[in-house]
Amino acid sequence: METVAISKVATGRRERPVGLRLARPLRSRALGLCLAAALSASSSPAAAADKVRLTNLSDLAFGTVTNLTIDAVRAENVCIYSTSRTNGYHVVASGTGPGGAFELASGTDKLAFDVAWNNSSGQSSGSLLTPNVPLTGQTSAATQQTCNSGPATTASLIVILRAAALSSAMAGTYNGTLTLVVGPE
Amino acid sequence: MSNARVRQIALTAILSLTAAAASASTDGSLGATSTGTVTIGASVPNRVQLSGLTDVSFTNQDPTVAAANSQNVCVWSNTSTKGYNVTATGDGSSNAFTLANGSLTVPYSVEWSGSSGQASGTALATGTALTGLTSTATNPTCSSGASSTASLIVKISSANLQTMQAATSYTGTLTLVVAPE
Repeated sequence: METVAISKVATGRRERPVGLRLARPLRSRALGLCLAAALSASSSPAAAADKVRLTNLSDLAFGTVTNLTIDAVRAENVCIYSTSRTNGYHVVASGTGPGGAFELASGTDKLAFDVAWNNSSGQSSGSLLTPNVPLTGQTSAATQQTCNSGPATTASLIVILRAAALSSAMAGTYNGTLTLVVGPE
Repeated sequence: MSNARVRQIALTAILSLTAAAASASTDGSLGATSTGTVTIGASVPNRVQLSGLTDVSFTNQDPTVAAANSQNVCVWSNTSTKGYNVTATGDGSSNAFTLANGSLTVPYSVEWSGSSGQASGTALATGTALTGLTSTATNPTCSSGASSTASLIVKISSANLQTMQAATSYTGTLTLVVAPE
């Protein structure tokens, strides 16, 4: 975007009729103002055209949790790509419980879970997410939108079944869906 | 079309359906926002928990009056029926319900009631499960909801008390095992 703005100034100068040409000091000032405006625009958190992509998601299967007195944790490495100037992004998670609560269900029985996010891959702990509340200030190291080149993954998604929830859960097979939405910053 | 070809197509279709069912996660596409989903699954096995037990002590017991001690306990069961069974064993000979002081022994009896606050219940035989019980606990240790769900009753008959040696302490251990149903 910065390159486009500067190019327009240069092009305009070439195409401007002789009678409308600015004196050299004025031209320098105008160019400076345009550069400042361009740089100012580029320092905003994310431009409207910035894009992101979340890939490499896979299902998380805990299987039969035999020890209900300790937390059960599953983590997976995912790819986040952001075209923003800072490669920044935020992530919002929601579950299938009421109001987007992180809940698994087995018929009418419920099993709450926690979700954590880590800005780097290979992690088993991270920042706890609140349903529908963005976790901001994340940065991606991805150089390709599906991580086909460069780092294979850039972040960790961690799901935790707390011992307190497990030990009071009714027996059964629980399932649920976690939805993740990322946006550029 | 040959039967082999039909079988191959059918097998391919089955494999495709299996593969599709095995992974429900979805990746996001490139855009102003990108949305992905992950399916999470977990299985919780049948579990029970027995808590709230306290020691039983009979002190200076009148031998002409039967001794009885009842206590409220918490049994948690996570099965769909919240059912459980209970098995009691003593530490006497062949797991008999007996108290002892050296070679001196005295038998006692054990009863169980599926509700709390009871002074009598179903007599237990050592090593034999009392089945068909149901818990009302909504929490593994009854820290919320019902504070107790069952009654454990220990008794020494007057006849047995009269066999005991005075000023002598008899002790024993009663072990209770609950299991989900």
